[in-house]
Amino acid sequence: MSTAERALRADARIRIRELGKHYGPLEVFRDVNLEVGDREIVSIVGPSGCGKTTLLRCIDGLIPASSGTIEIEGEKVTSPLPGIAMVFQHFGLFPWKTVFANIAYGLKLAGVPKAEIDARVPRFIKLVGLNGFEHAYPYQLSGGMQQRCGLARALAIEPRVLLMDEPFAAVDAQTREILQFELLRIWQLRPTSMVFVTHSIEEAVLMGHRVVVLKGRPAGVFETIAVDLPHPRTRATLSYPRFSALREHVWTTLMDEARAAELLLQR
Amino acid sequence: MSASDLTLAEVRPAWRSWLGRDAAARVVAGIAILLVWEFTVRMWAPAFVARPSRIIAMFPPVILAPELWQAAGATFGAVLQGLVIAFLLGTLIGVAIGRLPLAERFLQLYVNGLFAMPMVAILPLLTLYFGYTGDARLATVVFAAIFAIIVNVSDGARAVPPEYIEVSRAFRGSAWSRLFDVILPSSVPYLLAGLKLAAGRALIGAVIAEFYASVPGLGFYILYNTRSFKHNEAFVAVMLLAVVGVLFELLLARGTARFLPWYRRDEARD
Repeated sequence: MSTAERALRADARIRIRELGKHYGPLEVFRDVNLEVGDREIVSIVGPSGCGKTTLLRCIDGLIPASSGTIEIEGEKVTSPLPGIAMVFQHFGLFPWKTVFANIAYGLKLAGVPKAEIDARVPRFIKLVGLNGFEHAYPYQLSGGMQQRCGLARALAIEPRVLLMDEPFAAVDAQTREILQFELLRIWQLRPTSMVFVTHSIEEAVLMGHRVVVLKGRPAGVFETIAVDLPHPRTRATLSYPRFSALREHVWTTLMDEARAAELLLQR
Repeated sequence: MSASDLTLAEVRPAWRSWLGRDAAARVVAGIAILLVWEFTVRMWAPAFVARPSRIIAMFPPVILAPELWQAAGATFGAVLQGLVIAFLLGTLIGVAIGRLPLAERFLQLYVNGLFAMPMVAILPLLTLYFGYTGDARLATVVFAAIFAIIVNVSDGARAVPPEYIEVSRAFRGSAWSRLFDVILPSSVPYLLAGLKLAAGRALIGAVIAEFYASVPGLGFYILYNTRSFKHNEAFVAVMLLAVVGVLFELLLARGTARFLPWYRRDEARD
């Protein structure tokens, strides 16, 4: 990363400096530097096992980093901070709670008064398109709807940072596409700082203002690609030549690694 | 994705299928057993031995007399009281063992041992401590029931999916909230299994304590009537115990379907 990029950005909400993580002798990533603006979506892609999910959990304060620092609005992250929300690949909905109660969960823990919870939750149910399912239980919902619920739970606390951990990896391809554009639409309505971890290159380019490629063993930021596609991004974005060019670029960047990993497996 | 994609699954409670399906087969088998019993006693047994026709004839006077109900009230009161104590204490200890490695290391072995041990074995000792009183019965009931709950709840608390804990941490849940919002609800299916087991053991404990300590109750009622050659009266009380046992299970199944609609579904999917 160049010195210019390392200089403090005025609008940076998340500042990650020289972050490293190892489990015993196993070094997951090292020397990760990254800043995320207050209205910026940064996608993180990398081959599986490169530590992108670990990095996200470090940002959330769920896992302690081994070295380096993470700051969110100047505050050092050592445990989960208020106003940070995460959307999980496994949805993480409580099966014994209804859609309403699941969405209210984060608000309740944040100490929001009940009257306000009752006023706020229906707005987010509507925002993610779950009207009519307030009293349904997660098992009664399809995967896509469950993740809408997970998304509403995260959005309901009106987070300053939204952390997305491969949120659409567990839903089918069509639903995934629908949810991507839904998320972009919602972000347009309520822009915030977002880190989007995914293993889908297409998704990374579509969602991100920048795409960070994690690579190597231990992993590090191999390249940061600015995605100069216009907003708001819609289905039409997918057919832009520039979109294909960026996708190919990220793909080529990741490619060597993927091929090397495959060769390693064959041997 | 449209609203029509969603099918609101109907929860089919266990008790309904229990009554519905195979009802005819159950009735026929029941009648056959009663007939064999009646015939055997008539052919070979002395006159005072209980047989279905006499028991049925004995129902109205026994049910109308206050003795049976006084005895039943004492026994089921003690069982209920004991179950509540075992439920509260057992859940507390179970969660501790399931979630705290230290508690697990110290207690798991003894809990497993005491769970496997027949609780009636310590009944004589309990009468030493509590006398030949209702307290000895209550202590027996608690002892008989609590380990089934501890063992199941500790399994449940241990089996809380780590994802739920992660969600709780990510949303800054306190340890308190983690216990009440995550660990306990997630352990409810195990708790219900434990409760079912505990209820049966509690009934056995109460009746045996009454046999041994001669404490007024259904057990003593049965013992007393049997020894006075009133076998038919004794059998009415036996029937009552059986009915209550079955009713408790139905109640549990019905309550589960009604108040924990997510749970049976969850179980069916596994």
